[in-house]
Amino acid sequence: MNLSTRMIVVLTVVGLLSGSFLAIVGQVTKERIIFNKRHEIEMAALKVVPGARLVKMIYEERDFAVFEDRDEAGNLLGYALQAAGTGFQDKIVLEIGVNAELTTVLGLTIIEQKETPGLGAKITSEEDFLRYWQNRDCTKELTLRKPPVEDPDALASNEVNAITGATISSRAVLNIVNEAIRKARQLRAEGKLSGMN
Amino acid sequence: MAQKTTRQQFFKGLWAENPVTRQLLGLCSVLAVSNAVINGVAMGLAVTFVLVFSALLVSLIRTIVPNQVRIASFIVIIASFVTIADRVLAAYFPQLSKAMGPYVPLIVVNCIILGRAEAFASKNKVWPSIIDALGMSGGYVLTLLLMGFIRELLGNRTVLGTQILGQWFEPWVVMLLPPGAFIMLGLIIAISNFIDFKIKERRKQP
Repeated sequence: MNLSTRMIVVLTVVGLLSGSFLAIVGQVTKERIIFNKRHEIEMAALKVVPGARLVKMIYEERDFAVFEDRDEAGNLLGYALQAAGTGFQDKIVLEIGVNAELTTVLGLTIIEQKETPGLGAKITSEEDFLRYWQNRDCTKELTLRKPPVEDPDALASNEVNAITGATISSRAVLNIVNEAIRKARQLRAEGKLSGMN
Repeated sequence: MAQKTTRQQFFKGLWAENPVTRQLLGLCSVLAVSNAVINGVAMGLAVTFVLVFSALLVSLIRTIVPNQVRIASFIVIIASFVTIADRVLAAYFPQLSKAMGPYVPLIVVNCIILGRAEAFASKNKVWPSIIDALGMSGGYVLTLLLMGFIRELLGNRTVLGTQILGQWFEPWVVMLLPPGAFIMLGLIIAISNFIDFKIKERRKQP
């Protein structure tokens, strides 16, 4: 066999073998990966509405989804809104819990972010950021408190703490949340948020 | 190169030919993931997996592959193992996979792996290649752990997420950011060169 043929044969065989091997691995892991993603999002949707036991997706579009959160008896406790937007470095995906009347933010959790470690990445920290998002009045737009205060009670009812040194990340989260609430209101006005019981 | 014993083959990766401090390979991943110890552990394990298996395969097919297409074949093999590691992590260890973000796919371009495939596995038998790969991974992991330990401690007061330094210590946020990585890496290389220099000096004196 001359050199060119040998090169072609070797490369083709290497490519074919690894290709088919990867196809098998892809098939085997595909379902679990999809399942993991869904599981993570549903767990987050349960977490942001305190006391919720059942969650069901009722609306979905690009970068926005609404989940219904119910307790064991099937009473509607609120909605979890999954929304995404631009952060400091990359897309931030988050979920916020709101009550059934869409007047109060119950909680916030971050699903995906690639903010700066040590600064913007603190948006995932319960201690530094997320705990200030419980029970916020969202009848008006939410606003940032800068510089942040230690005591959550010192914040106005529609205020949340910014992170020192990471105003852009904090503001990005704030904008995503405000926008998501606005969208949810619009959906309700259009009658697309069913089950107001 | 004189024939090395298995032991020497392994230990050269940890110190004398440490991939990070001596060969200066794979620095981008070292700089990027060493801001916390746990990232270093995870990345180290993933690199070890890919390095060992690609060394095994490259060494197995080294006599069949024509010289002209060797790099292309090695890259295909390495990329396959990286993809397998990535998928398996995403399917069975979603938390870990999330923490490592884009760095797992980036192992493909981690030059330690292609470097060792090219410099060692493609010229040596299977067993020494695996030992060499293990030693190199060991050196990589050790350096990552050392960097991760110092950066996490100074930048966040913690080690593996547990707080070590008290509130009196104001965290050096710069340690978690890219400049901190460069400073630490420079210091570690300087110190290891210094130690090496001293050892050689002592050996010269009878």
